[in-house]
Amino acid sequence: MKYENQVYDAWLAAAELPCEWLIPLLYETKGSREAYEAFAAGDASVREMIPPQSFKALSGFAREQAMEGFREASLRHGIKSMTILDAEYPHCLRDIPDPPGILFYQGNPECLTAEKRVAMVGSRTASYAGLKASRKIARELSRGGVTVISGLAYGIDAECHRGCLEGGSPTAAVMGCGLDNSYPAENSGLKQEIIDHGGIIISEYAPGAKPIGRHFPYRNRIISGLGDVVILMEAKIRSGSMTTIGHALKQGREVYAYPGDPTSLMTEANRTLLREGARYFTEAEDILNDMDWLDKSKPIRQNIGCSAPEVPENAHEKAVVSALARGALGFDELIQATRLDPSELMGTLTMLQIKKLIEILPGKKYQLRT
Amino acid sequence: MMMAKVLSMGVNGVQGYPVHVEVFCVGGIPGMEIIGLPDASVRESRDRVNAAIMSSGFESKPLRTTVNLAPADMKKEGPSFDLPIAVAVLAATGQIVPPDPSVFEKTVIFGELSLDGHVRPVNGALPMVISAKECGYESVILPEQNAQEAACIEGIRILPVSALAEVRRHLDGVVEIIPQEQITYGELSRENPVSVDMSQIRGQKAARRALEVAAAGGHNMLMIGVPGSGKTMLARCLPGILPPMSFEEALETTRIHSICGRLAPGSGLMVTRPFSAPHHSASVASLIGGGQNAKPGEVSLAHNGVLFLDELPEFSRGALEALRQPLEDGLVSVSRVRQQARYQSSFMLIAAMNPCPCGYYGSSTRNCRCTPQEIRRYLDRISGPLLDRIDLQIEVDAVPVQEINESEAAESSAAVAERVAAARRLQQERYRNESFFCNAQLNNQAIRKYCSLSGEAAALLNAAVGAMNMSTRGYYRVLKVARTIADLAGEEQVSSAHVAEAVQYRELDQKYWS
Repeated sequence: MKYENQVYDAWLAAAELPCEWLIPLLYETKGSREAYEAFAAGDASVREMIPPQSFKALSGFAREQAMEGFREASLRHGIKSMTILDAEYPHCLRDIPDPPGILFYQGNPECLTAEKRVAMVGSRTASYAGLKASRKIARELSRGGVTVISGLAYGIDAECHRGCLEGGSPTAAVMGCGLDNSYPAENSGLKQEIIDHGGIIISEYAPGAKPIGRHFPYRNRIISGLGDVVILMEAKIRSGSMTTIGHALKQGREVYAYPGDPTSLMTEANRTLLREGARYFTEAEDILNDMDWLDKSKPIRQNIGCSAPEVPENAHEKAVVSALARGALGFDELIQATRLDPSELMGTLTMLQIKKLIEILPGKKYQLRT
Repeated sequence: MMMAKVLSMGVNGVQGYPVHVEVFCVGGIPGMEIIGLPDASVRESRDRVNAAIMSSGFESKPLRTTVNLAPADMKKEGPSFDLPIAVAVLAATGQIVPPDPSVFEKTVIFGELSLDGHVRPVNGALPMVISAKECGYESVILPEQNAQEAACIEGIRILPVSALAEVRRHLDGVVEIIPQEQITYGELSRENPVSVDMSQIRGQKAARRALEVAAAGGHNMLMIGVPGSGKTMLARCLPGILPPMSFEEALETTRIHSICGRLAPGSGLMVTRPFSAPHHSASVASLIGGGQNAKPGEVSLAHNGVLFLDELPEFSRGALEALRQPLEDGLVSVSRVRQQARYQSSFMLIAAMNPCPCGYYGSSTRNCRCTPQEIRRYLDRISGPLLDRIDLQIEVDAVPVQEINESEAAESSAAVAERVAAARRLQQERYRNESFFCNAQLNNQAIRKYCSLSGEAAALLNAAVGAMNMSTRGYYRVLKVARTIADLAGEEQVSSAHVAEAVQYRELDQKYWS
């Protein structure tokens, strides 16, 4: 046995065979190691099962140098693999059109077969409100024992993973590049955190694959396929998130759309989906109820490690809090509303921040914490 | 064989030094040779001097003339030696015969000549006059348009001239030049026009307050805001609310501007604090000073005033890093192969930047198009050590239109300046035995000594540090700024209200650079 299994898997995955070729090949040869050996030996029956345009790529990756490269990358990054032939391969993916034949992963593969799974998707450039709602809902779902699946991108994806981590359940991220690649680089810390907390990072792309544009809409089918339900948090009509929803509908997954701000352009796809019959929800409980996942004995909304919320004490703090009750305000607007002088107002804002009663939005707007 | 000696002045760094102009005429092939390390503009004075002598009605004798500028090992630059060379040539050829020959040992002469014999203004008049006085010379003959600039210097007779012929009449004792009347600094500074008044700013109450705190403690400040939010206008208000310059400060500043030729002809000592706003394409040398013949840079032109760097992240990395020495020490040492110079550069840094490359991150009116990575890369152009020297950071949002039209007049610069001056007086009193004079200059040790907190305030600060992920660096900055806020309120003890306000000037730290 020359190489580990994942090296042979990497060889086969690196050529990016279309599913309709890859899966019969795997079933026929009983695994990528066997496929490799037959391929290397020049077995004519195996060669017939390979699309002609992929032949050159497969011979290239079969060279010793390339194989050593796969081995080194998978060892260094702790990348393992499974194929559709393996028992641990998630059953929910078997019945989608175009299932990935080979999956590479880092972390704990058990969470792919968890009982309660929700895929959450949304824009990379979401509104602040959308980001906050995503985190809160992911946290509450997680507290209800749900594994949240998303794509580790900026924005909504990252917030969903973070929320799920906060809630204590493992989370799964599906990437659009080789797992040795940290993309986006900003989220490499989050990636590690997911692995450390019993979650999993998966990809159908071999180590060394670059994060190129066409990978992402295609991997979205895995995100939706892994979820029992798919939630759209915030997206525009023409967006990657909407391709995930498209996959979800093809795969027969239940689609939920978060209502969001009805005046915002960022949630136009949500409104369209709701109009077309997507399920409406505002709280994680709505989904848990629908799916009959709710465990009444475990409240999902308790605040962890947080004492009772503090209350405004003096007249200044009360004035600011009541001014903000109508919505987020800038500094000058607060001065107009409260009639405090600038230095008093600044001090008051600090006190409220320390008490965690308010927070600051980008653009220096103050808002009550909910 | 004829010879004459005349006194003049050269400039090295910001100091003047005496130059003896020696002229030696002897028979031979007619011509003039200038020696003593002249640069091109000094060598060209040969032709100006000749023309000026002839057009002023003197005779240009066909002699072989050697002009020596002593000390011969210092490089001489600029056209200010025209006038002393012409006077020396005239004296050597017997066309100027002063009744008292010792006048040449007591009188410093400098000025550029035009071909028709008129005297033109030169750069660096003020440092030259100051040095002439320090060397104990009695009087100085200088171009008329430079006289105002030097009019504040006591103890030396300032004789403004407009033409070469006038100089001869004076030296020969025919017509005395009327000395420049001395103008006291008090008279000059009485009229202190403010370029932009705080009352012109609408809204921006947080930024106004931050500006006042910055001025009161001498703190550097960073403004982050969308384009068009008024960052530049706010910065321009700062010179108007800083305390007026003392005579010494005015001298130091004018001296630097004089050397760089930044004074308008005929203008006197600078009485308003300088406001220097270099473009972000500025090179390191233009910012810090230097060049082949060392010249002060923008940071020195801002000495005792305000250096405003708009679009801070667009400045080259080298330029930003080079700011660290002047920010720390208040002076710049420039070393070149031929020259070493130290320029004072103690200024307040006001920097402005957009929150992201497209400028609209967090804007209420437009959507930002930048990815988090782009924003991070943009912000990372400002290094931690530079940021460490900026005590106040505020976010400036665009003023809504309805506020622009609000009729309620805002407070004027004069009112703010009064509070600032009072706070500065408190600081001067407190730090009279120290090497620093305002809160911004406190080091960590001095912060512990002078910014002691009441128990309640300390508890508040600790809570704020926890709630806002503040760094140790941020902790000390807050203490310093709280000290200034207490000074503005006229209180000796830093209380929790002061700390609470000071925290607001740091919270960008955690938001953008965490």
